[in-house]
Amino acid sequence: MFFKLAGVALAVPVAAVAAVGATGVVVVDVREGGPSGHHIVVPMPLALARAGLVLAPPDKARIDVGEAAGHIPMARGVIEAIAAAPDGEFVRVEQPDEQVVLSKSGDLLKVEVHGKRGETVKVQVPLQAVLDILPRDGGPIQAAQLATALESLRFTDLVEVHDGDDQVKVWVF
Amino acid sequence: MRWTVLAVGVLAVAAPGAWAQPVTPWLHVQVNETSKASKVNVNLPLSVVEAVLKAAPEKVSADGKIKLGIDDRDVRLDDLRKAWKELKAVGDGQFVTVEEKDQHVEVARKGDLVIVRVENADKGEQVNVEVPVSLVDVVLAGPGDTIDVKAALAELAKRRGDVVRVTDKDSHVRVWIDEGK
Repeated sequence: MFFKLAGVALAVPVAAVAAVGATGVVVVDVREGGPSGHHIVVPMPLALARAGLVLAPPDKARIDVGEAAGHIPMARGVIEAIAAAPDGEFVRVEQPDEQVVLSKSGDLLKVEVHGKRGETVKVQVPLQAVLDILPRDGGPIQAAQLATALESLRFTDLVEVHDGDDQVKVWVF
Repeated sequence: MRWTVLAVGVLAVAAPGAWAQPVTPWLHVQVNETSKASKVNVNLPLSVVEAVLKAAPEKVSADGKIKLGIDDRDVRLDDLRKAWKELKAVGDGQFVTVEEKDQHVEVARKGDLVIVRVENADKGEQVNVEVPVSLVDVVLAGPGDTIDVKAALAELAKRRGDVVRVTDKDSHVRVWIDEGK
């Protein structure tokens, strides 16, 4: 009897966690190097973010991009052209102390920077998600659109930075 | 039998369209500077180049035309148009030859290409530019002091091979178009 009750009691939070997890979680993972370095992991469930945005006042659920708003339609044009282009390495800069590579693979525009001291920065820009976020009319960005776009990016690494023993990683789980 | 004939007919009509891959011309820019041990490679589909040029604020208008601010300079686009009209009528040949002590400049037309060669022996510099005649036509076709970038890129998309090659003592620049990445 006890096990049945415990099972029922556990089922609710497990189901809730599973439901939240099923809609995606943005994870920010920061590791500091050294013996006393901190390890901070911030999981942001997108379902909760969306729920919060529904309750938020409309003006708080918008991201005003200021003067950049006027350039959004042109930015969309460039991103649409890149999204429609074949995969390949678009830019490679090799210098004694730095290497930068910009390439496209499927829906991802990838930026990779390798520094002199072995530091690396990897950024993956999901093109369709960016198009979904950028408003066609150049107005403010809707935070709800941002959350929806992130939900479509599950199991995608967005940012990875390694600098010595320090490490920062942002991905959608 | 009738179905077989029909299926073969449908395939014959549809297959070429289905198999034909759209050709994407790529613009390549390669800059190597030996003295700085620096290499820059840019490989972009021309469709992306067009979109980027459109996005360049104020320089390129919404209809894909670029405005040149050369009104107050010695060379006007109208003068270039007139000169080009005359040169084009001449056909193949050497238009300009400049021989100086340390420099040699040639501008010629050979078939569909306008070829510019500059050589400076003292500095070890060599510039080769090969521009399709049709591209010059398009570039100079716009009204006033504007260049129709969209039309120029469409014309450039037909070109395959080197467009610009610049070599000097410690650097090498090559711009070319092909269908590879």
